Amino acid sequence: MVKVRAPGTHWDELVTPEGGPRPGAEALLDVLSGMTLAELTERQTLAELDIVMSGVTFTVYHDGRGIDRAWPFDIIPRVITATEWRRIEQGLVQRMRALNAFIDDLYHEQRVIADGVFPAELLEQSANFRPQCRGVRPKFGVWAHICGSDLVRDADGTVYVLEDNLRVPSGVSYVLENRAVSKRVFADLFARQSILPVDRYTDELARLLASLAPDGVRRPRVAVLTPGIHNSAYFEHSFLAQRIGAALVEGSDLVVGDDDGVYMRTIAGLERVDVIYRRVDDLFLDPEAFRADSMLGVPGLMRAWRAGRVAIANAPGAGVADDKVVYAWVPDLIRYYTGEEPLLPNVPTYRCHLPEERAYVLSHLDQLVVKPANESGGYGLLIGNRATPEQRREQAAVIEADPRNWVAQPILSLSTVPTLREHGIEPRHVDLRPFILSGATTYVTAGGLTRVALTEGSLIVNSSQGGGSKDTWIVEAP
Amino acid sequence: MLLSRVADRLYWGARYAERAQSTARIVRTYTELMVDLPVSVLTSWEPLLAVAGSGVAFDLACGGATDEASIVAYLLADTTNPGSLAASVAQARENLRTTREIVPREAWQTLNDLHHDVVANVDGGCARANRARFLNRVIGECQQLNGVLATVMLRDEAYDVWQLGEAVERADMTTRVVGVRAAALLMSHGGDDAQRAYDDVQWMSVLRSVSALQMYQRAHAGAIDARDAVEFLLLDPRFPRSVAACAQRIRHCLERLPHPARTLPAVSALDAVLRDAASHTHDGAALDGAMDDVQTGLAAVNDIVQRTFVRGDH
Repeated sequence: MVKVRAPGTHWDELVTPEGGPRPGAEALLDVLSGMTLAELTERQTLAELDIVMSGVTFTVYHDGRGIDRAWPFDIIPRVITATEWRRIEQGLVQRMRALNAFIDDLYHEQRVIADGVFPAELLEQSANFRPQCRGVRPKFGVWAHICGSDLVRDADGTVYVLEDNLRVPSGVSYVLENRAVSKRVFADLFARQSILPVDRYTDELARLLASLAPDGVRRPRVAVLTPGIHNSAYFEHSFLAQRIGAALVEGSDLVVGDDDGVYMRTIAGLERVDVIYRRVDDLFLDPEAFRADSMLGVPGLMRAWRAGRVAIANAPGAGVADDKVVYAWVPDLIRYYTGEEPLLPNVPTYRCHLPEERAYVLSHLDQLVVKPANESGGYGLLIGNRATPEQRREQAAVIEADPRNWVAQPILSLSTVPTLREHGIEPRHVDLRPFILSGATTYVTAGGLTRVALTEGSLIVNSSQGGGSKDTWIVEAP
Repeated sequence: MLLSRVADRLYWGARYAERAQSTARIVRTYTELMVDLPVSVLTSWEPLLAVAGSGVAFDLACGGATDEASIVAYLLADTTNPGSLAASVAQARENLRTTREIVPREAWQTLNDLHHDVVANVDGGCARANRARFLNRVIGECQQLNGVLATVMLRDEAYDVWQLGEAVERADMTTRVVGVRAAALLMSHGGDDAQRAYDDVQWMSVLRSVSALQMYQRAHAGAIDARDAVEFLLLDPRFPRSVAACAQRIRHCLERLPHPARTLPAVSALDAVLRDAASHTHDGAALDGAMDDVQTGLAAVNDIVQRTFVRGDH
């Protein structure tokens, strides 16, 4: 029979330090402890086969080429009780309300700066503020319609928001695919307890996107704009287009007419588009407005959006609030815009452009994670206690050269989930990315994407760097 | 609503999937024929290259080798040959992978399975001992794909474009079987008795190349007649792989798709060359020439499809 060992100094999501089950994980651990390693491995193999056969893939870049890889999935799920999840959900909704109000404010009156809550110089130096978006009024005052926030749990059990991805967050398709596989792997457990379904997401997304259409459009035509088949998230773009019944378009499929309307090139001629769910970064959206060398964009798209002829989700410029320096201000922004105390804590964040905080960072590099303010995918990270003195010296020089571009946080001890490895079940570090949809109303996925660092001790969960994934079960108390 | 780019991928997805299936059929049938024929009847594997339309490229790639192993490997496994079974399946899969929001999920899964099967087994499947089993499986999986599309795909423009690609490719292969193998048989009628004794076997093989034998026998009772066989393959509207039946499907698809006034003249021109070909069913050389004309007609259909639906010249 397999042994699920107690995790030591980290918080384990399934097992207490005494080796018993956490609330919600009783049934799962009961089933696991009744299985041999061979049986469990067989289920894992079948799940992987299932994934290969369904063509669930992601793309990695190697030698300048995109290679399609089978999506890495570990069959042992992560479990959260519905009670705890409802608290997290409320915290996320509150956070999105504040972030959307913040973005809308920045592109209009900038009260937050006038009131001395957010420093003007940070906005001036922001790489993601788009002057082209000033004065635009997206429906409902919402700019970040789709957000993926990364959550982590520290050793004492506190759940923190690590970052908010407001530009083109990805991963939600894998939440749905992981669930489809996991239902087959543990059919018995789904029958024995109440696990909240995740499938609603795509209906909610379709409803949200339709609600963004310009006024007067009766049957909005929605298109998902992808950078193309070589993008690492192409699988997801295709998956979502399929589930919401939208056209999957590349920039070259679209053209902006003299009437500022956006049209798709179809076999019958040009056809109007009302809503674009874009999975292309701001700077590549429109070569007339942003990078002139972009081959992915649509000339004139910003003009069409500003004229209100087409809705774009997420709105261009929404990324201004998706920045590791802005992150440090989010608790203040929540208080400012909602008048409430933050329900979900931020990880304490040192901002290198502030001399005192920078001095602290430079003298405590061995105890901090240093992150570039505007990179994603886990690139450019320095984990202080694992770096060599040489690497820390180099990092210090880089910070002093461009302090605005760096933040640092204490090294959290990420929680673990038992994970099937070659020789048994071992604890591996995880994070969690729930997805939040904001429009006239707000919807949060039941759980989200649990990413797992498959290498022992590693904290890097990104699939592009050897991370895997797990299903996330939100379990109602019986 | 169908994007031009997507139409292009569906059209080629259908062509490559159909090409994979017809390549499997001709290689399977030719192998059976070679087993049947005695060594006294001089036979070569080269006509197979001509049917697959790969003769010149093969010579360049394989430096004039004419042995079974080289030719079969080239037609089935060689991914540098864009017409090979493995390359066709890979390209069909790539086209379906990039149109997954359009085609039924089971269709994509079927083709994805087929691709993994071919990658893993094509080298072993080239050996004579395994070849029939491997090719039967490929044909079966291709038919499963056709079955999924026929039974669950929405009947809209995407479906018509797929059908169009399939019909163009199918007509192309039947035309080549007739132009190469039937024409050669008609021309060899001055040959010696030993060869003529095996004519029936050869004609059966020609019909089998496009899975037409049994249906021919139902349509024409009795021994195989060369002219009837050629007419059956070219003109019988009741047999779905005949060129005329494919032309009919092409016409139906184009009638339903946008801009028929622009595209249909190419089909009428194809019908006309096919009617002309009907008067050459007894003369090998003339038949070969007539098939070239039909191929040119199919190329014109392909061209107008690309220009109208993909490039958007309206």
